Amino acid sequence: MKSDETAFLPGAGKGARRKSAARNKKVRLSSYLRPYAFWAILSPVLMVGEVYIDLLLPDLMSVIVDDGVIGGNMAVITSTGIKMLLFVALGGLMGALAAIVASFAAQGFGNDLRKDAYDKVMSLSVEQTDRFTTGSLVTRLTNDISATQDLVSQIIRMFVRAPLTFIGAIIMAIRISPKFGIVIAASMPVQILVIALVLRRATPIYGAVQKKLDTVNSVVQENVTGARVVKAFTSEKKEIKRFDRANSDLTHTTYRVQKLMAVISPVMMIVMNLAVIVIVMIGGRDVISGSGEMSAGNVMAATTYITQTLMSLMMVSMIFQSLTRASASARRIREVLAEEPAIEGGKTKEGENVGTVSFRNVSFSYPDASGQPVLSDITLDIKRGENIAILGATGSGKSSLVNLIPRFYDDTSGSIMIDGKDIKEYDIGALRSKVAFVLQKTELFSGSISDNIRFGKEDASDEEVEKAARIAQAHDFITSFARGYDTIIGEKGSSLSGGQKQRIAIARALVRKPEILIFDDSTSALDLGTEARLVRALRESMKDTTIITIAQRIATVIRCDRIAVIENGRLAGCGTHDEMMRDCPEYREIYYSQIRRGEKTDG
Amino acid sequence: MAENRKSGAEQPEQAPDIRMFGPGRGRGGPPGMRPSEKPKNLGKVVKRLIKYLGKNNRLLVALLVIMLLTTAVTLAAPVMISEAINIMTYLDKYEPSSGVFTLISDSLSFADKYIDNTYLADIVKLLAVLAVMYILSSLFTLFQGRISAKLSQKTVYGMRKDLFRKIEYLPIRYTDTHKHGDIMSRITNDVENISNTVSGSVTSLFSAVITLVGSLVIMLILSWQMTLVAMITIPITIIVSAVMGRLMHRLFSRQQRLLGELNGQIEESVTGYRTIVAYGREETEKKKFAQISTQYKKNGIVSTALGGVMGPIMNVTNNLNYLIVAAVGAYFALKMPTVFNVGLISAFLSYSKQFTRPINEIANQYSNILTAVAGAERVFEILDAEEESGLDGKTLDISSVKGNIGFEHVRFGYNDKEIVLKDFCLNVKSGEKIAIVGKTGSGKTTVVNLLTRFYDINSGRITLDGHDITEYSKTSLRKAISIVLQDTVLFSDTVAANISYAASDTDMERIKKAAQTADASRFIEQLPDGYDTMLLRSGENLSQGQRQLISIARAVLADPKILILDEATSNVDTRTEMQIQTAMQNLMEGRTTLIIAHRLSTIKNADRIIVIDDGKIVESGNHEELLALKGAYSALYQNQFEGFAT
Repeated sequence: MKSDETAFLPGAGKGARRKSAARNKKVRLSSYLRPYAFWAILSPVLMVGEVYIDLLLPDLMSVIVDDGVIGGNMAVITSTGIKMLLFVALGGLMGALAAIVASFAAQGFGNDLRKDAYDKVMSLSVEQTDRFTTGSLVTRLTNDISATQDLVSQIIRMFVRAPLTFIGAIIMAIRISPKFGIVIAASMPVQILVIALVLRRATPIYGAVQKKLDTVNSVVQENVTGARVVKAFTSEKKEIKRFDRANSDLTHTTYRVQKLMAVISPVMMIVMNLAVIVIVMIGGRDVISGSGEMSAGNVMAATTYITQTLMSLMMVSMIFQSLTRASASARRIREVLAEEPAIEGGKTKEGENVGTVSFRNVSFSYPDASGQPVLSDITLDIKRGENIAILGATGSGKSSLVNLIPRFYDDTSGSIMIDGKDIKEYDIGALRSKVAFVLQKTELFSGSISDNIRFGKEDASDEEVEKAARIAQAHDFITSFARGYDTIIGEKGSSLSGGQKQRIAIARALVRKPEILIFDDSTSALDLGTEARLVRALRESMKDTTIITIAQRIATVIRCDRIAVIENGRLAGCGTHDEMMRDCPEYREIYYSQIRRGEKTDG
Repeated sequence: MAENRKSGAEQPEQAPDIRMFGPGRGRGGPPGMRPSEKPKNLGKVVKRLIKYLGKNNRLLVALLVIMLLTTAVTLAAPVMISEAINIMTYLDKYEPSSGVFTLISDSLSFADKYIDNTYLADIVKLLAVLAVMYILSSLFTLFQGRISAKLSQKTVYGMRKDLFRKIEYLPIRYTDTHKHGDIMSRITNDVENISNTVSGSVTSLFSAVITLVGSLVIMLILSWQMTLVAMITIPITIIVSAVMGRLMHRLFSRQQRLLGELNGQIEESVTGYRTIVAYGREETEKKKFAQISTQYKKNGIVSTALGGVMGPIMNVTNNLNYLIVAAVGAYFALKMPTVFNVGLISAFLSYSKQFTRPINEIANQYSNILTAVAGAERVFEILDAEEESGLDGKTLDISSVKGNIGFEHVRFGYNDKEIVLKDFCLNVKSGEKIAIVGKTGSGKTTVVNLLTRFYDINSGRITLDGHDITEYSKTSLRKAISIVLQDTVLFSDTVAANISYAASDTDMERIKKAAQTADASRFIEQLPDGYDTMLLRSGENLSQGQRQLISIARAVLADPKILILDEATSNVDTRTEMQIQTAMQNLMEGRTTLIIAHRLSTIKNADRIIVIDDGKIVESGNHEELLALKGAYSALYQNQFEGFAT
């Protein structure tokens, strides 16, 4: 906890690696404040002026009361009053400037951090984003950065102001009478002790609250997404009970922590108020004794000072509260920033555009998996313009195999060559521009349909877009929309069915005119007729493109030039349909599971 | 979402991949992160929100009473202090400004014995009373904190409970047509928002109003002339608040809009990350993001700076007020010392401070309250949605159900414009296995949606054993039916709890037997904790095949008369399917079964196959008969194996 709390202070905090800076340089989030150091320092400096004036005011007020009101001297009131107003205006100006300057620093900090974190996420490998999970990355980039930015602005504005007011007020009180200083000093330890104790007990409960909240959210999520099942099994009452457990659990825990926090304020108040009483008491005795060293105005001023010291203490306790909460956010952002892009590109930008792919003894296992290889010793050559299908059971590794081609993941051993060159020699951008990938899960972006197709090639002409859509069997349904290619996706009423989205994603890949086109089980939402027309169109118009298709349906793969079967991460066989029927028992098994039964009943 | 996709076959999906919702999903993030909407009907929503609070009326009353007490002490304290100052200032000339002080002085006269100085004795008496008041006030504050925490927690608990109950009883149409992320965000972020406002803003607003009224009353009692003086700067405060408030509001809404864009960009690019990477669009996305982020920063600087300026301006105004009270007070004290003594002036000085503070407070809380009200409006929107009707009613006696199903001239559309089923007629005999095939969008899944009454038909009749299904309660009707879906829905609970999902009171014996029938017992026993293994995140730690086997076991245990397999094996590869097939056969044994599939191999063994096209049954018969017809089925069949012949 300690290191998290102090992470923003220079010279503290656990080291985190920074993307752009030298590799081994440890970087803290505080370094993001460095470009704004001038502003971040100027703000407290201005604040010193404001606080100074704030502290002068009770003194001036006591002059007004003592000499003006009690002494009956109007001249003192006007002259001191004008002085006071000028001071107030000056103080206000400084305060306002301090706030403006502080917002420069905090917003700048947040902006840089946000952009850097986003850039970092964009440079991570797929495997790394998988590990973070998309949901957590979104939270880190939004909520967590906001929380740290808020904290920075709070620190700039209060971290200086609070101690300054605190010390200043004590000095001013001592100037009136050392006795007052003693009263204030005596009240401090109680306050600090209470705040420390409460925060120490509250911090773990805050963590527990977060966990219970997650449980509540996951029950809701399951019920919203699984509404059909809940209803079909008429488990509404059961689910309500389950939710009630999670809900009351959360409520109780939250109440516990809030109850605890509710102690702080009254304790602060009672100590502060009792100190005020003691000061009036001591002051009163001195005034009445007529020693002349104390006046009624002095006593009033002193009560204001003690209020100020305790207010500043309250502020510090507030900062500590936000620190405890923001420290978790800061840690999560540091984790993102510390991540080094796992995949380093090579230098080759240009190469022959051929479209051959070769796997040489490729093995692969996911880094965090139990070490069990997903793929082992795969050797496979794919020729230019070839239409190859990869078939295998779920979990056989067929999808992993094609994910290695654009280096979404890196193979553990062996090598993959495109156009005769190891893919690691290529610049990442150059490599990926050779390949167009149609994913299993269709991901479209907000914008129009043509925007989405152009995602594959930014400068594609309307003709190119339309041609791609025609091949992808998407043109007809797109033009059936009132706004055609300009239809905004996601707008109410223009939502698309799964099959339509898949076809737009295919058009997006086709518009790139890639050397290598990969379909990762991405025609599953198409009915068979549409799929057949798509394959025919692809054959006609993209003769030179190497097409790798991952599929489960025999009907899909049977049309391909060659079929490779992956079984438990190994290549069980590869060849034409006839060869495979003859030589590959695994293929025969899959084939019969889908076809033979039909033939038998046929006759 | 998984189940939503199911309906997507028949009905345009709500584009779940492109949604934009608060990032707080699953976390309940800070309210600021969600683009806030301007409430459409502020008064009504606030009234309803208060009604919600009123459900815990005892707590609410207790809170109000305790806040009144606390405020009373807060207001009375300055009077005591200024009276003490009065004593030390005037000494001989001191006269109590109110009878209360004479009373205090007299009733605590025993103190005179210990303190020789009468002035000091009076001061001590006053301070003693004050000390008691302060101690009480702190106690009150402690209680107030606890009560307001309890109130807000109870309110939120109740609100979440109501919302969840509502969600359970909303018709499927609602979840099919609303973005799941949005529903989620309402039950988490919005409720959280309301909770924060209730515990924070509402109490400080209450106490601000009480302080305002209280100090005004006391000031009027002390001196109406001075009260007028102390109110001179109020118009300035109000004008400044109003002007700044309007400016802030404009900037604030812009800020929220930009934040929404920012979050949308993050959400979209993180979830669509593979696509961005695959198409090498990182730089473009980075630029896009940087642009929005910088805009957000600029707007943020302006709005926070403006907010920062607000404080000093208010400070100047308050001090000006202080000065005016002091100057005018001193003037009065000079001219009319009998009416205006210094004690009175000092009392006014503290009251004028007390008086301006709540006004600032109210201005501060305004935007918080607006956000919460906008959230409450979204919450109430769900609570006001119409619930599924017909859940109660005549109970269907499940043990006597035979399982004869009849669709008689059924006409149905998800909306008025597109009719999915037109004059659909089908009779299924008890124990018969019917496969329904057809192109995507032909209405296969719709048949299921209607039989389970997820949706109700426009005209015609659906019967079970000759009785219209609308005669029975939906609950009892659904108990007679089990569904196995393509995307298995499992819950984060133990394996055993998932299998016994339909039957609440069941023993381990039956669970194990069901798992055996479903061919799932082997892999379950190999799990670390067997049947007690917790499924993580809705079963993500199991393979798709295993999840499907558990869902089959669930259907076995439910022991329905009617079984629906809705693309149950589409997500599994064909060889895994062969393994599941045995479990499926066991499950279908002796039950009326509707099978929906686009994989022909899974349906060939059905007793009868019906082909739906354009909302009607175009062909019906067994595999061979249909092939011999050389019609739609034959075309579909050829389609699947197209290329086979070439």
